[in-house]
Amino acid sequence: MSFSEREILETVRMVELETLDIRTTTLGISLLDCADPDLESACEKVYTKIRHHAKDLVRVADSIGSDYGVPIVNKRIAVTPIAWVGAASGADDFTPLARALDAAAHEVGVDFIGGFSAYVEKGFTKADDVLFRSIPRALSETEHVCGSVVLASTHAGINMDAIARFVEVVKEAAERTADRGGLACTKLVCFCNAVPDNPFVAGAHIGVGEPETVLSVGVSGPGVVRSALQRLGVDADLLACAETIKRTAFKVARMGELVGREAARRLGTSFGIVDLSLAPTPAEGDSVAAILEAIGIDRAGSAGSTAALALLTDAVKKGGAMASSSVGGLSGAFIPVSEDRGMIDAVAEGALSLAKLEAMTAVCSVGLDMVAVPGDTPNDVLLGIIADEMAIGMVNHKTTAVRIVPVPGKGVGETVEWGGLLGTGIVQDPGRFGCGRLYERGGRIPAPLQGYRN
Amino acid sequence: MRRFLTVEDIHLAEGDEIVVDASTLVTPQAQDVAEALGIAIRTADGPWTEPTPDRGPDAERARTSLPHLPEPEGTDVLFSSAIVTAVGRNRSGVLGEITSAIAEAGGNIHDVSQKVVEGYFHIILTVQLGDGATFENFKTALECLSCPEDFAVRVMHERVFRFMHRV
Repeated sequence: MSFSEREILETVRMVELETLDIRTTTLGISLLDCADPDLESACEKVYTKIRHHAKDLVRVADSIGSDYGVPIVNKRIAVTPIAWVGAASGADDFTPLARALDAAAHEVGVDFIGGFSAYVEKGFTKADDVLFRSIPRALSETEHVCGSVVLASTHAGINMDAIARFVEVVKEAAERTADRGGLACTKLVCFCNAVPDNPFVAGAHIGVGEPETVLSVGVSGPGVVRSALQRLGVDADLLACAETIKRTAFKVARMGELVGREAARRLGTSFGIVDLSLAPTPAEGDSVAAILEAIGIDRAGSAGSTAALALLTDAVKKGGAMASSSVGGLSGAFIPVSEDRGMIDAVAEGALSLAKLEAMTAVCSVGLDMVAVPGDTPNDVLLGIIADEMAIGMVNHKTTAVRIVPVPGKGVGETVEWGGLLGTGIVQDPGRFGCGRLYERGGRIPAPLQGYRN
Repeated sequence: MRRFLTVEDIHLAEGDEIVVDASTLVTPQAQDVAEALGIAIRTADGPWTEPTPDRGPDAERARTSLPHLPEPEGTDVLFSSAIVTAVGRNRSGVLGEITSAIAEAGGNIHDVSQKVVEGYFHIILTVQLGDGATFENFKTALECLSCPEDFAVRVMHERVFRFMHRV
């Protein structure tokens, strides 16, 4: 037999019992050639081009899933930031473009389409301004569209004025979907050092330097890593833990490499990246918090969490990097609170505070993700939370993000059900003190010294 | 470069036909309006039909380079093979049922390993698919044997194992 019994059973166990899956196959489509002085025409072009390129995406992904016996859970689309596509129209509302994206996503059968986006880390073009104003309506009136904005980078610094604008956008988006627990905010994320090839929503988009069309794959497998650590036992030291995670990540990423190659070949498009991210879901066992506990902390958020997470993120990246020459995106470990049963349990038990979560984001692969705060959280406090997160990313040359929901009508400790993969949020305490003067000063925090590398 | 034909272009058109390049993308809205106005959209060679997607300048390179990316070792040995695993309560005839189903589905058993532990069996079979058999049909046929009360069958492509366990 070409493979040992142990190898075969290991793979079958990963898929059958440990929820290893290809989390997303994401087709990136450039919409730059859809710009038009007439907004209606731009919408027609956007709808037509997406439908034209993505009409076979779901069929191809499903056929790979059945041909290889590997589950491919989601099929998604990432497009050029809509601020760039809409700019030529001179329109004062880009919601029609969001509707065109939504209709195309619905038509081709994908669950999300990312790219209602703008880059404003240094300042706003007129189109960026229109996009910001359009976000609350666009995300509350569509089903599949996700938005993202870039507010900071190591190279440009932090645009505090843009954060202040973003806070207003988040508040309005929450209010517009108050009956659904502020659901629109779950489809909206802000970034420092955004990656232009991220296949995961809500931040998926196709940035500068990307090809006309590109197929990327997001692989997940928190359950696989946790089980490998559990089998390793409690006596193994941390070097052994890191080695085990690295080997497991390698195997998981190889699956992504196989599916990515095959999907790109079948669609006749460029193969972009494999994003090996441990992306939790509310399903039992599919938890990053559970991995941290398997490494040796009591609960996610307890002392030692940041160190354990640093070990995890680094080992995942190392394993992934050896498995594929196309590793990219956000690769590492996600810690979205509401989407991870272990994280939400930790919040419920009082183990995971917002402050500790922020510390953990310094070493995870994204940032403050799927965090619920009271609907009446003052704007300066929201600005401060986001600015802190941007600062971590800016100084450490890493991607950080904030996806935060000020849940209308809810106070600290109350729960909100978003359903499906989004899970259950518990409203966390943002603290009693704010940063009113910082908010009012406005302006920009200049780029740090490490930004000037040229 | 590929162009779009939009409703606006239809309204600007003179006469009752528009001749477009074969690579043009005519929006569905434009097609509807043209039909309503009795305007024909055609190419120099005949009626316009949706072109095949042009995935851009890098796609051609991808088409030539993707098949040449190194495969993990052992590639040509079992290229179109399936790994079948089955677990369940041991009873007489179970191996026979699985192997006959494999033969019926067009598979040729290359290797088999079987163990029985405390009344439960597990079987691993490496199966070469015959010329007429597709992996999908083979997988469906075998997995249909699964019965919660009896045994469970799982079929995965051999390439998955090769990618995961070989470099």
